[in-house]
Amino acid sequence: MIELVLSLALLTLIKATPLIYAALGGVISERSGVINIGLEGMMAIGAFTAVIISYATRQPMLGLLAGVAAGALAGYVLGVAATRFKVDQIVAGTGINLICAGGAAYGLVLIFNQPGASAQVPALGHHYLVLVVLAFIAALALHWLLARTPWGLRVRACGENPAALASAGIDPLAMRLTAVTISGALAGLGGAFLSLGELNLYSDGMTAGRGFIALAAVIFGRWNPIGATLACVVFGLFEALQYVLQGRISWLPADAMQALPYIAALVALAGITGKVRAPASDGVPY
Amino acid sequence: MKLRRTLAGPLGAIILLVVLMSLAMIVAGTSPLDGFAALFQGALGGTSQIGETLVATSALLFPALGIALAFRGGLFNIGAEGQLLIGALFAGAVGAQLHLPGWLGMIVLLALGALGGGLWGAIAGWMKARFNANEIIATLMLNFVAAYLSLALVNGPLRGPLATGAETAWLDQRYWLPTLLPGSRLSIGILVALAFALVLYWVFTRTVFGYKLRAAGDAPEAARRAGIDIGRITWISLALSGAIAGVGGATIVTGELHRFNTQLSPGYGFIGIAVALVGDLQPLWICLAAFGFGILEAGGLAMQASAQVPKDAIHVIEGLIILVLAARRYVAARTETAAV
Amino acid sequence: MIARPALTLRGIRKSYPGVVAVDDVDLDLYPGEIHALVGENGAGKSTLSAIAFGETRADAGSVEASGTVGLVHQHFELVGRLRVWENVLLGREPRRGWRIDETAAHERVRAVAERNGLAIDPDALVEGLPIGVQQRVELLRELDREPSVLLLDEPTAALAPAEIAAFFATVQRLAQRGTAVMIVTHKLQEVIAYATRVSVMRHGTIVARMETATTSVDAIARAMVGGDLPGVAAREATQPTPCLTIEALCAGAGETRIEGLHLEVRAGEIVGIAGVEGNGQSTLADAVAGMIGYDGRIAFAHPRATLGVIPQDRQREALVMPWSIVENVVLGRQDRPGIRRGVVIDRAHALADAQRIKERFDVRTPSLDVPVRTLSGGNQQKVVVGRALIDSPDVVLAYNPTRGIDVGAAALVQSRLMEARNRGAAVLLISFELDEILALADRIAVMYRGAIVGDFERSNVDRAAIGRLMAGLSNA
Repeated sequence: MIELVLSLALLTLIKATPLIYAALGGVISERSGVINIGLEGMMAIGAFTAVIISYATRQPMLGLLAGVAAGALAGYVLGVAATRFKVDQIVAGTGINLICAGGAAYGLVLIFNQPGASAQVPALGHHYLVLVVLAFIAALALHWLLARTPWGLRVRACGENPAALASAGIDPLAMRLTAVTISGALAGLGGAFLSLGELNLYSDGMTAGRGFIALAAVIFGRWNPIGATLACVVFGLFEALQYVLQGRISWLPADAMQALPYIAALVALAGITGKVRAPASDGVPY
Repeated sequence: MKLRRTLAGPLGAIILLVVLMSLAMIVAGTSPLDGFAALFQGALGGTSQIGETLVATSALLFPALGIALAFRGGLFNIGAEGQLLIGALFAGAVGAQLHLPGWLGMIVLLALGALGGGLWGAIAGWMKARFNANEIIATLMLNFVAAYLSLALVNGPLRGPLATGAETAWLDQRYWLPTLLPGSRLSIGILVALAFALVLYWVFTRTVFGYKLRAAGDAPEAARRAGIDIGRITWISLALSGAIAGVGGATIVTGELHRFNTQLSPGYGFIGIAVALVGDLQPLWICLAAFGFGILEAGGLAMQASAQVPKDAIHVIEGLIILVLAARRYVAARTETAAV
Repeated sequence: MIARPALTLRGIRKSYPGVVAVDDVDLDLYPGEIHALVGENGAGKSTLSAIAFGETRADAGSVEASGTVGLVHQHFELVGRLRVWENVLLGREPRRGWRIDETAAHERVRAVAERNGLAIDPDALVEGLPIGVQQRVELLRELDREPSVLLLDEPTAALAPAEIAAFFATVQRLAQRGTAVMIVTHKLQEVIAYATRVSVMRHGTIVARMETATTSVDAIARAMVGGDLPGVAAREATQPTPCLTIEALCAGAGETRIEGLHLEVRAGEIVGIAGVEGNGQSTLADAVAGMIGYDGRIAFAHPRATLGVIPQDRQREALVMPWSIVENVVLGRQDRPGIRRGVVIDRAHALADAQRIKERFDVRTPSLDVPVRTLSGGNQQKVVVGRALIDSPDVVLAYNPTRGIDVGAAALVQSRLMEARNRGAAVLLISFELDEILALADRIAVMYRGAIVGDFERSNVDRAAIGRLMAGLSNA
């Protein structure tokens, strides 16, 4: 029994980790005033690029860094669209998701000559547990950055009232572009964790809506890094539960159990909104 | 000036499309000339090819119209994929057991599609109206719930006795929608889609409901003060939006596949967003946009087979089109209001 | 004055598509002066001050400042969910390593506040502060930069008379210390009372420069409109009968809560609600319009009485900006018989209504199909008022009906309200412009902190007493 609880706890933390990275990205982005619905695609492109680079160099650490860079690039593209071109953020994010998922699928065929999944590549092995711990440290660090540093103050001001930031002589668009790029880097890291940490390959659809769940966690966590992290742990628990419960509960088919994290996110969304307030200019182009 | 603005969107999109696709073909080691030849040959090269293009057109048109309805009301329905799937599931599940005259059965199955999709959309609408839950995330989550729920059902109680994959039993032949184009798979489902487009055009431009919907979307506070019940508009428009996508799912089941299969949509609900935006959220333009995307979908498959350009390149390009065109109307309205 | 100007504008020109906002303007601001820039809406004042501040680039001309230029916006550019010190020091945070040095930050804000005689709690959340205090925060933010030129855009729009006096005391202290101050305003009394010089703008150019010591409110006003002020329709004798009764009304929350409010508006009269913004006027309007829930009673004399509403924010609450005039004329009336026929909207009917409003209100537009966002503020407001009055409502609720529109449009709107009263409508006029209320109202009720604190008949109005009541001084 204790063994079961311990393995559930460990699995929960592992399943929560990619969510946490993506959710921290979501927090930064939304606190600066950009809704990043493209987190999903940024995770996918991060996961894919990590695998490609690890495959090419046989260096999983390089792969990991490449995944972060790819996520950042996707974030930068969304940022440019949302700031310089004032494209609607939701629409632009949807576009990013199509591009990233489609791009990864296209790349799979080009590089591995097979649709669906990559070959197996050198992975992080047990080192990936470092990334689990790092996720929680990153949450604390982000909390501190937002609350205590000039940069954090400006990000918060930017998401509330970008005009105020502009009249203080700081370009809100540049602020948002930076924030969304960092957001993409974190999502890319979350994706790389999935492909090189938990697994050793990329397959189409492997992010499975984690970027969207991370967005729900941002709201559930009230746009606060620590709150969002805790929300991710809750969603991670539901994901871990399906593995633990599989075969133990006969009346609930495995396919239905896979829907648990999404249903949990839905319930969380309905349960807390109305009581929370998004940053005042979240989603509003400046 | 005005003409330039009107043309800049679609024309720019087409030029961009050609350039990007050429790039994708070059990267894949095919000359653009061969690639485009394969694409158009595959999309328009014969009766069966044209049929496939129109099948894709129809499959994209339904979700795109539903999405346009929700977007016009200011609601980002990103859940057309799930709504379409549930609509198809309803039609497929009941269709396999139905005992009715053929024509009545067809109508009942399409209505069931509307019911399923409408229900799925209404969940998000109810969550938004009742709890102010973000409809974007709600509809996204419901996509996954729909996928796993239907998978569980066709792997379980709804699985057809002779099925090899995750699918229901076949529909009795009398419920198959009549073929529209002999020598192809194209059914009269596309006529239903076009009828929906016409009705939606009328709803947007003429009716009181359309007026309220657009007011809620373009100026929610002014709409509320004009006595329009925003909560009601919210759940009704998401339900209707889902219902239209659901009918689309049902026409795929009754028109082409003749059974429900969890793989029946290669992302029509997501690509439908691009179709709706390229069509400027106007029902009649959306019909044209759906045809254009239908060519890409059908031709993309052929291009993959004969010119070795992965079909997924099409999705990258669709995403780029969304980014570039990206709802000029929303941006224009929002920034201009803010600037005055 | 022999001193060198702190700010010199030469040949400033700025045009936007279709309109020349500022046309060849020269202006000097000297250290120690309080310079008023007045003009009608759309005369180019805001554009000129944005150019002086460096927020907007001029198409032609030069801007020379001897030091930094500060601008206090009319609509404060503050972050409500940040603290006072965070707002004041945003962008210029004192640092210690990576982090903000909060001790230094507090001290700096206290020091600036003290130097300028402004009391403030650096740790307060801005969104919880009254408007007058929020303005202090906005002012502190500019003062922290020690500007040699300070531009103030409509600084007293939301202040009570007592706060206005205190505000100008601060401004005068600043000027004495050598700051050049420019106030953009339309309150001419304040110009005469506090400014040293005044420049009048009309159609993008400066049409008059005067010393306030040797001019009058009347002379400035005539220079602003370029002639005599347009008149308002005459007040006719009516026989007021009960129409709208508000009893023991409780509604809203926080600063703007209404508690036990009584008010009666009779058919054939205009009741004006005088008061400083933020004393519950919007709560009262929302309750009467049925937009919020309330306790107490709001009753109309007959059950089928109709209500015409002119909301306070025309762009957000009254119009759908990308829509045409015709479509906007339907808004709020979409379910009325005549407009609605079955499930469709009768477009011919809507078009006829729009045509009627265009004629009666002199809406200047190339066509009824253009989006209302392309109209000037005055013409937008004419559409809003025209729509509110077109069905001859029994009760009219008008909230700042002439805010931010030019004098001609304002006179027309006021005339139509007077005519509605003359034909027997009960008009509830809420306005932050005391002059407007004095001009139109048959009875005046003064609102302060969610209650009616004074009541005046037109025959015995005492302007000074109203001013004291508005400021919350009860010994009126």
